[in-house]
Amino acid sequence: MNAEVKDRITTTQATIMMVNYILAAGILTLPRTVVQASGTPDVWISVILGGILSMLTGAVIVRLNQRFPGQTFFQYSRRIIGKPLGVLLGMVIAGYFLCIASYEIRSVQEVTVFFLLEGTPSWAFAFAFIWTALYLCRGGINAVSRMCRLIVPITWTVFAIVCLLSLKVFDINNLRPVLGEGLGPVWKGVKPTSLTFTAGEALFFLIAFMDKPKKAMRVLVVGTCIPTFFYVAAVVLTIGAFSVDGVVTRTWPFLDLIRSFEVDYLIFERFESLLLVIWIMQIFCTFCIAFYGAALGMSQILNKKFHNCLFALLPVVYVISEIIPSINALFAFGTGIGNWAIVLFGCMPLPLLIIARLRRIGP
Amino acid sequence: MVWKTIAGLFPSWSMLFQGFIIFIVPVALTRTMTWIGAKEGKVSTRGLRAEGTKGGGVPSAAGSGGNVQKSNPAPRKIKEGGDSVSVADHVSASMTYTGQFQEDLQKFKEMSADMADVNVRELRIGALQIKAALLFVDGLTDKDGMDRNILKPLMNAMRPFEGMTTAPEANVLKNIIIHQVILVSEIEFTANPLMSLQKVLFGSAVLLVEGMTEVFVMGTPKGRTRIGEEPVSEALLRGPRIGFTETLSDNTAMLRRNGQNTELAMISFTVGKRIQKEMVLTYIKDIANEELVEEVKRRIRTIDIDDVKESGYVEQLIEDNYLSPFQQIQNTERPDRVMAALLEGRVAILLDGTPFALIMPVTFAMLLQSPEDYYDRWIAGSLLRVLRFLAATISLFGPALYISFLSFHPGLIPTKLVISIINSRQGVPFPSLIEALIMEVSIEILREAGLRLPKPIGPAMGIVGGLIIGQAAVEAGIVSPILVIVVAVTAISSFSMPMYSAGITLRMLRFVAMFFAATFGLYGVILFFLLLSSHLIKLKSFGVPYLSMAAPYRIRDWKDFIIRMPLQFMKRRPELLKPKEPRR
Repeated sequence: MNAEVKDRITTTQATIMMVNYILAAGILTLPRTVVQASGTPDVWISVILGGILSMLTGAVIVRLNQRFPGQTFFQYSRRIIGKPLGVLLGMVIAGYFLCIASYEIRSVQEVTVFFLLEGTPSWAFAFAFIWTALYLCRGGINAVSRMCRLIVPITWTVFAIVCLLSLKVFDINNLRPVLGEGLGPVWKGVKPTSLTFTAGEALFFLIAFMDKPKKAMRVLVVGTCIPTFFYVAAVVLTIGAFSVDGVVTRTWPFLDLIRSFEVDYLIFERFESLLLVIWIMQIFCTFCIAFYGAALGMSQILNKKFHNCLFALLPVVYVISEIIPSINALFAFGTGIGNWAIVLFGCMPLPLLIIARLRRIGP
Repeated sequence: MVWKTIAGLFPSWSMLFQGFIIFIVPVALTRTMTWIGAKEGKVSTRGLRAEGTKGGGVPSAAGSGGNVQKSNPAPRKIKEGGDSVSVADHVSASMTYTGQFQEDLQKFKEMSADMADVNVRELRIGALQIKAALLFVDGLTDKDGMDRNILKPLMNAMRPFEGMTTAPEANVLKNIIIHQVILVSEIEFTANPLMSLQKVLFGSAVLLVEGMTEVFVMGTPKGRTRIGEEPVSEALLRGPRIGFTETLSDNTAMLRRNGQNTELAMISFTVGKRIQKEMVLTYIKDIANEELVEEVKRRIRTIDIDDVKESGYVEQLIEDNYLSPFQQIQNTERPDRVMAALLEGRVAILLDGTPFALIMPVTFAMLLQSPEDYYDRWIAGSLLRVLRFLAATISLFGPALYISFLSFHPGLIPTKLVISIINSRQGVPFPSLIEALIMEVSIEILREAGLRLPKPIGPAMGIVGGLIIGQAAVEAGIVSPILVIVVAVTAISSFSMPMYSAGITLRMLRFVAMFFAATFGLYGVILFFLLLSSHLIKLKSFGVPYLSMAAPYRIRDWKDFIIRMPLQFMKRRPELLKPKEPRR
């Protein structure tokens, strides 16, 4: 019914897309949100736990998808729970992707207008971003995955350099004592990571495109481990530099970390703008994947052409991103999406899998 | 309370209007594009081309691997200047000549069916009118000598056959011909058609005589004179100092001489409606992908134009995307470059009347490669390649970065440098974009003017233009000295592109990058990079993704991208071309 599904991506491509999807705007705020929730320096354990949890929920999604090879969630959900419910669920998930896309673009807009481009109207910023993304998405999933592949060496190198440089202001004492307050606060810190680790949902449609769906589990594990590593590095370095109390008061703790040192032996003196522009590419990839997912879902549910859906979603994603009145509302919106993700992707796939098993649908 | 919040969330009219704009602009653009495409499809035959599966060419590498055939049992049709000859492929090596003239000749013709440069000259020997044929390759053999020493004596041979009424025994005839007729010192015999074909391709002339199971192989190679001059547009320090010429037969001969291989196919086409020109499509039969060759042939047949003046015409008429700023077909004057491309599984087109050959498909990385990378040792080659990548980046983003750093983010560069830049810019009345544009445009004019001038004046103009005007512009306070440095470095970087036409693309895009930088600063530069990458990712050259080297499906292909690995490690041909024999 949809020509797009004929495209195929390799396991490596899927893994890289997965990594790029998870690594996004979250890295800029994650240190603050987890510390706010738990209040201990042990939040890096929370981040690791969050990664493992998302891997577990992802595993259920992988199992579910493997029952329906070559089909996306939007196509097979109606076979499991009937047409009306399936369509509804598909719409909710497509809407979720749309919200993720809006969230990403709004946060990158906030942070860029604040740090890089004071006075630039936000619509100009968003227009350029969304149109570029549209141009890429029209190339199909292969184009998106190639873009991910292309930027990975650039962004990872810059991230690694910046992290190494920030060791200058790192103080291990800020992270001690380990587990001084027991495991309780650590558990509290797990929940805010859900927005950051919204991993599994990309698998809802990624697996359908894979040439070897059997290897989806590998994609999930590797694709979650690498971002976990990045996030843990960001959290540890930020807390190590600012201590727990310092992190809570900063809006963009990770950027502040990079602002807090100067290097006089390299071409650049300050790196926060550099990291930011590089990270824009990373967020661009996440945006494209989410936007692609939303458009794909729409086209498969409503049986419309994929390209028309891409165009139709443009104003929607823009308006959603712009009706958020303030930066605090943006963070609240983010938390809301996170909770939504927990329900949608943490709790829902398991019953679906059980129903599918009981009704003996799929191979 | 809740209602108030929700009402507050309702988008305002201006926002809805912006939403409308964000929707309508790309839709309008796409519509226009489709309209242009439809228009163009009506006026030219290119429309036919677009109907190929997935744009034709190499099967889209995504997942469809493994269905590459080793041999092709089905007979293929090859268009040869109008009439088509059906070819039974693969003649077994153990076959010998039978002595039946027509049959033997047919056998030979079949073997050389897709080699248009193999000529057959039929004749009758002497008084007895024995049927014979002389086989040779145009351009490789010394035609004058052949006429004088082989054809003339054979046809005029009256005395040796005096008193005979029928053709003598094969042995007798052979002796007569060697001892009394042919005036060639170097003669061999072979009964193997494949062997004889090989000899023909390497420059000998082969004489096929009725009733003889062996053929005469006569050494008549042309003296290895230098035909072509060293190519001006692609100079090398190390490597063959020979370039293609304007004569097609010379060029095909040059390729033959470059790679003495019986699998080198040359297929001739006639292009042009009013003024017909010969064009040769060449590839290596057991390497190049069958589908690629077919697609190129199909596109060549769609060429519909009065006169093909230069290979640039062909290039523009068969390329995939004519709206793209990037060239999707490489042009070169160097036979060694063409040969290297053929060995990788690519296909080349030679046109009569121009020294520029076309190589396809092209990937982005090829535009930054020079044959020298392979002639030098691998460390030096890799370093030079890294350097070229750097130069390409600078020539694309240099002025854009200057603009964005200066107008948007002076905080990024070291404070001392900022202060000195600001000091030097104090007298400049323009914003940095205008300043950079003035300088960039004038240097482009300078370059264009230098290209047209006769050689002795060129350097003088460079000095006048570059040094004096630059100096004067700084002193007059029109531009800042830092900008002169930036522009100069950018210009020099763009000279280091091994392909002239690739350099033009980068020069053009540089201006776009400058405008992006002037609007959005560093964010604009990144956006431009993303846009460019999106375009390159989607661009295909004969079915091969343009950027496939930078974002390959297989990591293996990476070892010939930025770093050139030692030759011993480069055992595989680039996988994205789906060659028939992946190992070399």
